[in-house]
Amino acid sequence: MSQDLRIALTKGRLQDKSVELFEAMGLDCSPIKDPGRRLIHKVPNYPLEAVLAKAPDVITYVEHGVCDLGIVGKDTILEHGKSFYEVLDLGFGKCRFALAVKKGSDFYGTYKTRRVASKYPNVTRAFFEKKGMDVDIIKIEGSVELAPILDLADGIVDIVETGVTLRENGLVPIEDVAQVSARLIVNTASMKLHKAQIEDFIGRCEAELAKRREQA
Amino acid sequence: MTYTINTPEGTRDRLFAECRDRRSTQTALTDLFYRRGYAEVSTPEVEFYDLFLRSGSPLPQESMLKIIDRSGKIMVMRPDCTAPIARVAATKLKTLPLPQRLYYAETVFRSGDQHRGGSSEIAQCGVELIGAAGKKADLEIVAMAVDALRSCGLARFHIELGHAGFFRSLADRMDLEEDQVEELRSLIEGKNFAALGDFLEPYQDRPATAALLRLSRLFGGAEVLDEAEALAGENEAIAYLRELYEALCGAGYGKYLRFDLGLVHQIDYYTGVVFRGYVEGAGDAVLSGGRYDSLVASFGRSAPATGFAVDVDAVAACRPGTEAPRVGTLIHFAESELDRALTAVDGRAAGTCELSPCETLEETLALARRKGAGRVLVLDPDGERTVEV
Repeated sequence: MSQDLRIALTKGRLQDKSVELFEAMGLDCSPIKDPGRRLIHKVPNYPLEAVLAKAPDVITYVEHGVCDLGIVGKDTILEHGKSFYEVLDLGFGKCRFALAVKKGSDFYGTYKTRRVASKYPNVTRAFFEKKGMDVDIIKIEGSVELAPILDLADGIVDIVETGVTLRENGLVPIEDVAQVSARLIVNTASMKLHKAQIEDFIGRCEAELAKRREQA
Repeated sequence: MTYTINTPEGTRDRLFAECRDRRSTQTALTDLFYRRGYAEVSTPEVEFYDLFLRSGSPLPQESMLKIIDRSGKIMVMRPDCTAPIARVAATKLKTLPLPQRLYYAETVFRSGDQHRGGSSEIAQCGVELIGAAGKKADLEIVAMAVDALRSCGLARFHIELGHAGFFRSLADRMDLEEDQVEELRSLIEGKNFAALGDFLEPYQDRPATAALLRLSRLFGGAEVLDEAEALAGENEAIAYLRELYEALCGAGYGKYLRFDLGLVHQIDYYTGVVFRGYVEGAGDAVLSGGRYDSLVASFGRSAPATGFAVDVDAVAACRPGTEAPRVGTLIHFAESELDRALTAVDGRAAGTCELSPCETLEETLALARRKGAGRVLVLDPDGERTVEV
């Protein structure tokens, strides 16, 4: 019964922060930090193994149940999320999801249909649908800031970390779409079938998060 | 790109073992349903879109596959079987005495998201017990849900019970706006522990806050019923679940049962006990059902009802696969010996022997080599002989 739980971690910044969290929880993360050529990394002192994946893939793996758990940003969940349990806000990887427009422009003050560029077309659509507003959405893969500069779009919906990039490109955030941070997600069937193991893991996460909040 | 040799996304050709595994799973389920007195019904694959609108279907319209008919009406490939069966029960079966026990083995169609690996064609087997309210009807259906998965040869599975009334009774005590209730519901459904805490933070003084805060964690064995009662006080829904549980335990079903009081999906559709089945090896629930007492009435005949549907392919994937039989013998026969040849095929295990269509024995031997068959049985008017290949 006590098969190892498998967790998918989002590569990059969230991965480092996740490892930091795990180590604070007392998990030995040396195999994750020094992955070599292996793709599945076993935690030696806890029944857990980790895989590293791009953010949308974390969701895919968890939804299909090939990973029991995942750590992924709320931005990705809003864009791709479907059916899993989103159990914890891990408190790291914080940033804002915002609508930004060219400095001095009046985004809302016109009857003309606005055009918005984003890496997150679904989030953008949901945001404007809620306002009852029709907008043209353009999916951009790279530097979204370029779209308004080239007059391709009137505004962008994107992640804002420091706001420096926006400022340097003459854009200002005018409205928050959502607050983003890393989340712990759980496959619905795993939650039920491996309740004790998953609750133990969630409990350890919660204990560490509570400790952090106290220190803050 | 031409669309001649590919199948549309979400569909696929099912070959050999896949068909057999699907069929044998269907047979295991429908045999059980039939044995328990359920009669098969089959409804059209294409229905008016309005049917599903009328039924208050929880499926969003974008997940239904639509067709416009010659007169311009919107039709859909049926996205579930329960609403059409409720229609049948309210119309065609109007003169029959209730309760009616119905089962189906059908395909439902849902257009999934691109590139998610989901299937648009879902084989479902299910039952509906129409016109029966109360505990005995619920017991019958929950017990059959357990037996359904058991009859498929599964051992490691749970049927998880919840009750639509529990969340509703707690929400009523909170005095919230309707859209707030919906937000609360979706946080509990998603087991969004942290966000649920934030949402309830301003309502610390309300009577049901403590119970709602714990609700998404109230899943597991029968002990969650005790905890729910400790948090929410006496509660009809919990008392009812306990009665069901005790009766089912008495019949030997206890070890398959779990609870999830945070099972609050489709709360406007379900009116009482809800349940889901989880199997080791499947990433999502493979069985889903519950009591829906107002659905049939939306078609003009008031009748309480309950039922469930099994995702046949998901269950089939969790069963040990059957080994495909290999062709071991080809029969090379003279035209006059057709009856002997057929008798020989019929006398062997299915799939292990087939007729050779070749004119000459050399051609048959070559065919046997290509097929990996070890023997050729030659039937002449004078007799028979076996040639090893």
